[in-house]
Amino acid sequence: MDAVPPPVAPLAPHMDPTAATGSAALVRARDLRLTVPSAAGPVNILRGINLDIAAGEAVGVVGPSGSGKSSLLMVLAGLERPTGGSVRLAGHELTALGEDALARLRRATVGIVFQSFHLIPTMTALENVAVPLELAGAADALARAEATLREVGLGHRLGHLPAQLSGGEQQRVAIARAFVAEPRLLLADEPTGNLDRATGAVVMDVLFALRERAGTTLMLITHDPELAARCGRQIHMQDGLIEPLAHAAP
Amino acid sequence: MRLAFRLARRELRGGVRGLRIVLACLALGVAVIAAVGSLRSGVALGLKEDGRRILGGDLDVQGGAQKLPDSLAPWIAARGGHSSAVIEMRSMLVAPPLASGGSERQLIELKAVDGNWPLVGAASFEPAMTVEDALKPVNGRYGIAVEPIVRDRLELKIGDAVRVGSANFTLRAVIASEPDRVSGPSILGARALISADALPATELIQPGAMLSHSLRAVLPPGDNPAELGTAIRSAYPGEGWRIRDAGSAAPGTERFIEQTSLFLTLVGLTALLVGGVGVANGVGAWLDARSETIATLRCLGATSGLVFRVYLIQVLALSAAGVALGVAVGGLIPFAAAGVLGAALPVPPRPGPFAGPLLLAATYGLLTALAFALWPLGRAARISGAALLRDSAAPNAAGQRRGVAVAALGAGGLLIGLTVATAPDGMLAVYFCAAALVTLAIFHAGAWVLRAIARRVPRPRAAWARLGLASLHRPDGGAAALMLVSVGIGLSTLAAVAMIEGNLRAELLSEIPAEAPSFYFIDIQNDQLPQFLALLGRTPGVEEVKHVPNLRARVVAVNGVPAEQAKASADTQWALRGDRGLTYAATVPEGSRIVEGPWWPADYTGPPLLSFDAELAKGWGLHIGDTLAVNVLGREVTLKVANLREAAWRSLGINFTLVVSPGYFENAPHTHIATVRARPEAEGAILRAVTDALPNVTGIRVSDILTSVAALLDRIGTALAATGSVTLAAGALVLAGVVAAGQRRRVREAVILKTLGGTSGQIRGAWLVEFGVLGLAAGVIAAIVGSAASFGVMRFLMHAPFDLLPKTLAATIAACVGSLLLLGWLGTAAALRAKAAPYLRNE
Repeated sequence: MDAVPPPVAPLAPHMDPTAATGSAALVRARDLRLTVPSAAGPVNILRGINLDIAAGEAVGVVGPSGSGKSSLLMVLAGLERPTGGSVRLAGHELTALGEDALARLRRATVGIVFQSFHLIPTMTALENVAVPLELAGAADALARAEATLREVGLGHRLGHLPAQLSGGEQQRVAIARAFVAEPRLLLADEPTGNLDRATGAVVMDVLFALRERAGTTLMLITHDPELAARCGRQIHMQDGLIEPLAHAAP
Repeated sequence: MRLAFRLARRELRGGVRGLRIVLACLALGVAVIAAVGSLRSGVALGLKEDGRRILGGDLDVQGGAQKLPDSLAPWIAARGGHSSAVIEMRSMLVAPPLASGGSERQLIELKAVDGNWPLVGAASFEPAMTVEDALKPVNGRYGIAVEPIVRDRLELKIGDAVRVGSANFTLRAVIASEPDRVSGPSILGARALISADALPATELIQPGAMLSHSLRAVLPPGDNPAELGTAIRSAYPGEGWRIRDAGSAAPGTERFIEQTSLFLTLVGLTALLVGGVGVANGVGAWLDARSETIATLRCLGATSGLVFRVYLIQVLALSAAGVALGVAVGGLIPFAAAGVLGAALPVPPRPGPFAGPLLLAATYGLLTALAFALWPLGRAARISGAALLRDSAAPNAAGQRRGVAVAALGAGGLLIGLTVATAPDGMLAVYFCAAALVTLAIFHAGAWVLRAIARRVPRPRAAWARLGLASLHRPDGGAAALMLVSVGIGLSTLAAVAMIEGNLRAELLSEIPAEAPSFYFIDIQNDQLPQFLALLGRTPGVEEVKHVPNLRARVVAVNGVPAEQAKASADTQWALRGDRGLTYAATVPEGSRIVEGPWWPADYTGPPLLSFDAELAKGWGLHIGDTLAVNVLGREVTLKVANLREAAWRSLGINFTLVVSPGYFENAPHTHIATVRARPEAEGAILRAVTDALPNVTGIRVSDILTSVAALLDRIGTALAATGSVTLAAGALVLAGVVAAGQRRRVREAVILKTLGGTSGQIRGAWLVEFGVLGLAAGVIAAIVGSAASFGVMRFLMHAPFDLLPKTLAATIAACVGSLLLLGWLGTAAALRAKAAPYLRNE
């Protein structure tokens, strides 16, 4: 059993656009690099990212397609291993953790919402939402999952399979699943990308409401400037690097 | 249609990856059927081409124990024919005395030939010499040639003096090939060849001795052997001889080949049936992967009929390739097998190719492809264009098109019809088809029950166990049924085969009754009996001696109908041919049970009455009061059936088909047959004592027969297991297809679980629960189906008792669980290795 190692002392915040705006950093990336091989030669996707996200902060990440936004999210979630630099999440150095330790850390700390929902097609809405709690061994997984689904307005869809739900409903299930274990960090990758504007707005209202209530730290990747503007801080990515951008009030 | 072909061709450019399993499933089943059919045709052609050689001439007249009249050979010669007389019997070959005194001996099948032998073909010896040189007398002692096994067992050398009956011979040569012999296992002695001129000196030819006289003839070119046979019957009426021509040189062998090939064909069909499940699954998965393309085609105006044709063309093209591959491999196997199987088969198979069996195998393959592929094709054709707007392009829920359903059922019906029509035993084929359908239904029902149980079982506390159980009843749990069927049918076949073999072994070997004899002694002359009994009375180690009179009788007519025209069931026809044992008795023989009619009074002296074997009577349609005419010692005797009797053949005691009332045969020359039970350590001495004192008496050691039977069963068992494995291989292919089809979904699921915090241990545990439970269910059902099938074969085909074999059943279940757990483990490992990011990136 490779358990999650104890957190190390937080680093001092840097005085630049990548620095956290509030209290101690929940996420801290330093010189983060990701290079993947390809037939045409190595591709540098992340080229030295420095980023702090404070606990309770909401960060909107914008940038053109291919700028490395989703890859940054994958690395911060421990789903992709960086090829250089360091990344700390809740005091844990992700590059030092094994696959199972990363899984346990995600289970305890991170919720993720994808553009393509990624619900398990053979499970009902209730079962999909209960999975993170079940994996954590929670005895009341189904009850909590049901409560969360009711919270996102899907109390009448508990027994439905993903294919029987609309896109907006599926994304609300995904949001319920991301929030059900009350994670400290929510990573959202273009959560409205597959939805129409009105549905997207409803979904984001749900997401922000849950985040407000739980005080969850949020990193939201989006192409929508309005959506990014709902976050306290915005960062702009270009060619695998974070570029300076205006600060908004938290 | 041209548009359909054009679209199909374009689609095929994209590759056939998803259909490879379909191709392999069809190729395997078709290859087995084609190979079996080709081998069967090859052996049949071999038997036909070698018919004259195997028969030893154009015509063979067998007189049984009765000597053929001296006038027969001149009668044939007067019609331009040329003949050779052959006498065969069992005897003992005694090796030269050992330095320690005494000598080893061996049961042999003695063949005494005249100077014309062989009329067809040539015999060869080691060292090389002519028949005449091998057998002629030198310095007053005739030569003898034996099979290598006799030389090896008795450690003989060329030039050694050996004894057969009362005569001494010089071992001149070892038989390398004997033209008029169909090769096969020799349970009751290996061949020894002597000159007919040497036979009198052996003193083996005694009245009532168990031997077989025959006369072979070659005819002038153009003469019809069948006509000559008929002429012989007319010239020598009422003799009851068995007259065969080259067309039926080895009827027993032909029956054996026919039955074996039927069994193997059914195994091939089972493999094809399992393959059919693979076809349905493979085509279904392949069409699923193309559902977006199909929906796009529908959006662009393609009718469902066009979509159906486009994909039918592709499936048929692939199926044709699979069938062609199977036919090619199956057609080539006899070429490869000729060398390997040459010794095991009665004649070297002609390698072919044979168009008939190959065409039949191809038809089986294409019909299987159609029967199993039409259903998923019909469903795919119902995918609507609107599916593009939904998440999953599911077929229209309205169901199947009626025409497609009818066509699929029609193809299945044709498949069954073809199986029944081409099988040598139609009823057996019907049973097989019914059993196959029931088996498929049982496995599907088993999957349904499993899902129902998984849904209702209390939720385990551990997440991995809960996830694993939940996987069994998820909406796509159809895969569970496929896995059950694919593993289960193969293992059911293997279990059935193992149980049949185990039961046969138990029947023939393990359950030898405690009072089973150690020896049979045959050909004890009437006047030798007192000496025989006295000898055994003073030989240490003898525990029990039983003896009965023994005559040889040939059935001439059943209720007045000549034996060759008498109607008999397939499993009792054998008894109408050749000599049967006949005895007489005042009381019911030990171990027999009268099932119908009264036994005659002990002092009965009227016309001869018959106590007949009840099983044969049923097969021949004989009832109490009917008559059976038999030829005994050249005289025809009509016997009236007084009662029917069940003999305890398993007791290994002496049992007779024909038991006649006393007062008729006592004074006819006859022999006695005796069983001797002795302590094992005394057996060698008893055999030596009897066959030294009474050289014409032959001792058959029961333990030697059982050893031969065990060796034969080993070979049969290996062959059965090998053929049964074919269905397992087909099952493995299908299973691989099922798992491969679901693997992408499973990897995706594993990735999501990992993303949600699932550890590798939890994911692995969930998969192992799912596959372990599936394996257990498949194993239990396979054990039940295998037991039922083997019960049916033992009870209804072999008329033998059946016992459940717990070890075999446990091994079946363990194999099922093991193979599925292994598969689950491999699948999990692949899923856990998969990188999460590519699956999670925005599509």
